[in-house]
Amino acid sequence: MKIVAAAALSVTALLGGLSAVSAQERGGVMTYGRYTDSLFLDPVLNDANVDIWVMTNFYETLIMSSPDGMTLKPGLATEWSVNEAGDEVTLKLREGVKFSDGTPMTTEDVIWSLNRAKNPDNGIWNFILASVDTVTAPDAGTIVIKLKYPDPTILAALSVFNTAIMPKAAFEAMPGETDAEKAQEFGKHPIGTGPFVLTSWDRGSSMKMTRNEYYWAKGADGKPLPYLDGLNFEVIPDDATRILKLQSGDIDGAEFIPFARVGELKADPNIKMELFPGTRVWDIIMNVRPEINGKPNPLADEKVRQAMNYAANKEALVQVVTYGVGTPLTSFMASSTPMHSGDKPLFPYDLEKAKALMAESGYPDGFKISILTIAGNQDDLGITTALQQMWKAIGIDLEIRQVDNASRTEQYRAGTFEMRTGGWTNDISDPSQITSYFAYSPTIDALHSGWKNAEVDKLFEESQKEMDPVKRAEQFARIQEIFNATGPTIPLYETPYPVALSQKVNGFYQIPLGNNIFTETWLDQ
Amino acid sequence: MASYIARRLLQLIPTVLFILIVVFALVRLLPGDPASAILGDRAVDADVERINRELGLDRPLVVQFGVFVKSVATGDLGDSIHLKLPVTTLIADRLPVTIMLTVMAALIAVVMAVPLAFVAALRRGTAADSTVRGAFQVGLSMPVFYLGLILLTVFGAKLRWFPVGGYGEGFVDNLYHLFLPAVTLAFSLSAILMRNLRSAIIGVIDAEYVQFARSKGLAPKLVLFRHVLRNALISTVALFGLSIGTLLSGAVITETVFAIPGAGRLMVDSIYGRDYPVVQGLTIALAVLVSVTFLLTDLVQVWLDPRVSR
Amino acid sequence: MTDLAPPSERPRRLALPRPLILGGTILLLSIAVATFPTVFAPYEPDAFDYNALLQGPSMAHPMGTDNFGRDVLSRVIHAYTIDMQIAIFATIFPFFFGTIIGALVGYAGGIAETLFGRVVDAVITFPFLVLVIAIVSVLGPGLVNMYIAIGVVGWVFYARITAAEIKVQKRLDYADAGRAMGYTHMRIIFRHLLPNAITPAVVYWMTDMALAILLGSSLGYLGLGAQPPAAEWGVQIADGKNFMATAWWISVFPGVAIVLTGLGFSLTGDGLAELLRTKR
Repeated sequence: MKIVAAAALSVTALLGGLSAVSAQERGGVMTYGRYTDSLFLDPVLNDANVDIWVMTNFYETLIMSSPDGMTLKPGLATEWSVNEAGDEVTLKLREGVKFSDGTPMTTEDVIWSLNRAKNPDNGIWNFILASVDTVTAPDAGTIVIKLKYPDPTILAALSVFNTAIMPKAAFEAMPGETDAEKAQEFGKHPIGTGPFVLTSWDRGSSMKMTRNEYYWAKGADGKPLPYLDGLNFEVIPDDATRILKLQSGDIDGAEFIPFARVGELKADPNIKMELFPGTRVWDIIMNVRPEINGKPNPLADEKVRQAMNYAANKEALVQVVTYGVGTPLTSFMASSTPMHSGDKPLFPYDLEKAKALMAESGYPDGFKISILTIAGNQDDLGITTALQQMWKAIGIDLEIRQVDNASRTEQYRAGTFEMRTGGWTNDISDPSQITSYFAYSPTIDALHSGWKNAEVDKLFEESQKEMDPVKRAEQFARIQEIFNATGPTIPLYETPYPVALSQKVNGFYQIPLGNNIFTETWLDQ
Repeated sequence: MASYIARRLLQLIPTVLFILIVVFALVRLLPGDPASAILGDRAVDADVERINRELGLDRPLVVQFGVFVKSVATGDLGDSIHLKLPVTTLIADRLPVTIMLTVMAALIAVVMAVPLAFVAALRRGTAADSTVRGAFQVGLSMPVFYLGLILLTVFGAKLRWFPVGGYGEGFVDNLYHLFLPAVTLAFSLSAILMRNLRSAIIGVIDAEYVQFARSKGLAPKLVLFRHVLRNALISTVALFGLSIGTLLSGAVITETVFAIPGAGRLMVDSIYGRDYPVVQGLTIALAVLVSVTFLLTDLVQVWLDPRVSR
Repeated sequence: MTDLAPPSERPRRLALPRPLILGGTILLLSIAVATFPTVFAPYEPDAFDYNALLQGPSMAHPMGTDNFGRDVLSRVIHAYTIDMQIAIFATIFPFFFGTIIGALVGYAGGIAETLFGRVVDAVITFPFLVLVIAIVSVLGPGLVNMYIAIGVVGWVFYARITAAEIKVQKRLDYADAGRAMGYTHMRIIFRHLLPNAITPAVVYWMTDMALAILLGSSLGYLGLGAQPPAAEWGVQIADGKNFMATAWWISVFPGVAIVLTGLGFSLTGDGLAELLRTKR
């Protein structure tokens, strides 16, 4: 298959680029410093990035995302095809795949896993498989997924963490009555087809893993992956401590390097400062309902929103808050999202234009408005403190209100907030998820902003059935055009994932969705 | 004595119940619910409702409280909403860390305060006395988070004598990790202790029986030691009992600054995360801890000085 | 160690105690700065200067600049206004209501005292800071809500002190005299007993103001107190905590201001206690 060959090539090219000189070496244990611990290692019922981003080490999906997040590559299925009508997917399972307990993966496991993932009673991710009708296995090596309607995202969906294949027998042998209770037990000692096996988990402080002896993929030397003998996660919440431990050699890698330290670590000869392209976008979300709590809302005025956009100096924010690491947004979705369109920064800083727009608006003398941020979050604080200054110039008095996450979410969902800081990372290699939350009003009222655009809603619904990738890209291009010009956000910037590694670490990467991939990681011995 | 202890423990029950009701009401008054805290920006109404239903949060408050009290009575504190672990396991994990931190802080406070108090008391009115008393005032005015930040930067990040936070593995490593945080926490306690000891020592020196002993030719050092040390111990123990609440408040901040996985930090995180079972369970645990501390300090005082007995 | 000091420590003169002079001076200066910050501050406290980010102390910026190029000295000076306010407003209501409730409870005794005892137990059994954090989370962050949160819990300490003192005064002759003369209970409590019993509460008030600055800045540090861009010492220290290794001045100077002001209050409290003790 063509897709397969291309994907395989790109992996080789990437690894080749990373390790042009030396050949992969085997053995060793890598210690990776994380900012916080995982909570719940069940692909279907988890709800946090701290789980999602490491789960690929234990569980794998039928299809996988390429390192750049733009294409798909074979996972537990070696090839796949979608029928003409777009409502049936046929997948060939990889032969000889075993779970980490040594039992072979069967079609029964696949059918059970996908049915569990699509069950509307299970977790918050089942919408990803909403189009799936039935999953069957005509023979021991084939899976057929019948859809209720043509779904252009189905292949990408089969690469999302919640569609990972789990061992049915081992799961059902767990104590407990309900699926949730069994999952709670199972998640303590996950069994999957991934490259690593969890051997101990000291909550809040460390996770220890050894290589999965039964892992199916082969390394460059023809022997089974992973190259590492073991992998440790050490939880070090304090940024400065995590960096110090990396510099002193206690750990081999550290995630979430604060932007303020990136420049300094780039200059450190003992450190590889990596900036993996991410789908992380930062913006300000505005409530655009005509009234909030019974009072007229200036943010409902499109001219006001545009004025605020032009008065927000994104280049300055990138410098002050991300120390030059981020890049101004060219669309509401990150540029590493498939079908992203737009090539120049949105609303480049132009104070005169902003003042002119304010003068034309219903609020020529400005107004007072509040913004919700998360207490203690330095990025939020930096952004809003700077915006407070920038908007002063057009007569807007911004009041910063720091609250905890639950309070913020509450006001957000109730639609009683005025403005808030926002951050988003995609969970699927497709523009549909971010668009449904940001722009498509039936999902959550376009980020609970109350913004609604009939054309966007119609285009999005069409795009969810459009099987022609070119036409679908056009639909998304138009959605982005409308949203970017008139939407309820101040698009700020997108940022990569800053990871600092010891010089001896090779072949580690984080995909744009955030997943940490250690499968082909190796250490200079 | 046994009936005294029994009475004290019985008194604990209404206190704990009262705190529980306050805390139970308080955390449910907080805007937002566990589902909002869990889901954050992804929160869709249907998911929020389903999760709250699964957690039994759609039932009336009185019913929830009843269910809670019933399960507590059977020794079950429920499971953490976020960490999916039994609350009892969490408490068993985190509370010892906080206890160790506060006990270390108390010991360090004593070690810092006793010699200084002796110097100040014996050299009353001299420069040494003024210096010690000045240090006392500074100690009282020093915010825990500020002192912690400075110690962390100087002795952790710059000089690298101590780890920059965390808890470590194994007892010795734990002691090493908790040293700077304990010093931070000990600072203001030692200041108060020093002041109390100083006046206690002066009181003993001036007391008639010491003067009498001296006039009889008893070695002054011995006299001082016997009388002063006992008095010092009594006031230290009493003070520790009184300060336990302040120490625990300080521990919340210290654990935040030094990234220590302790009970104080867990409490604040759980309030933020609306993790009701953990907040409730920890409230009980802390109330019991504080009450037992009160009881123990009372008993030790009685043991040291039978006159205190009621 | 044979040269033991003379037995009496009590100052014999009726001059102002030294701590009171020193503490009072610090406080007066603090109040002056808090009242007229613009006179003392060389720059606007929240003016950005993108050309002067993270600069160390210099002639132009004696305490350096922060990550937005704001002058740290000017922010420390303007913070006096907020932090002195915190010292007063976080304590005056607990003082007022606490002493009244304490006086009533101490005078009444019996069941009221027992109930009050339970409340005291509960409050001291639960970490004060956690309770305040929870209340602030319910009400929303900000200074006014912080005052309420501290007040809701803080009155207990004043009440406890006053109740104990009233109990002592109640037994003295003049209280009996008042009753014999047929005065109402209220008149006895507030006209006769309380003026004599309030001294310990006043002394505690001074210490409490120092504690209020510590608590207020702690909450500011956690993001629950004063809201940006307001310059407040705890907020400033939090702003600078990520720069401790590279730009220590952002956090260190506001901390010095906290310690100095706290010193002013506690020295004044000490001095006051000494003065009142001598007077008696």
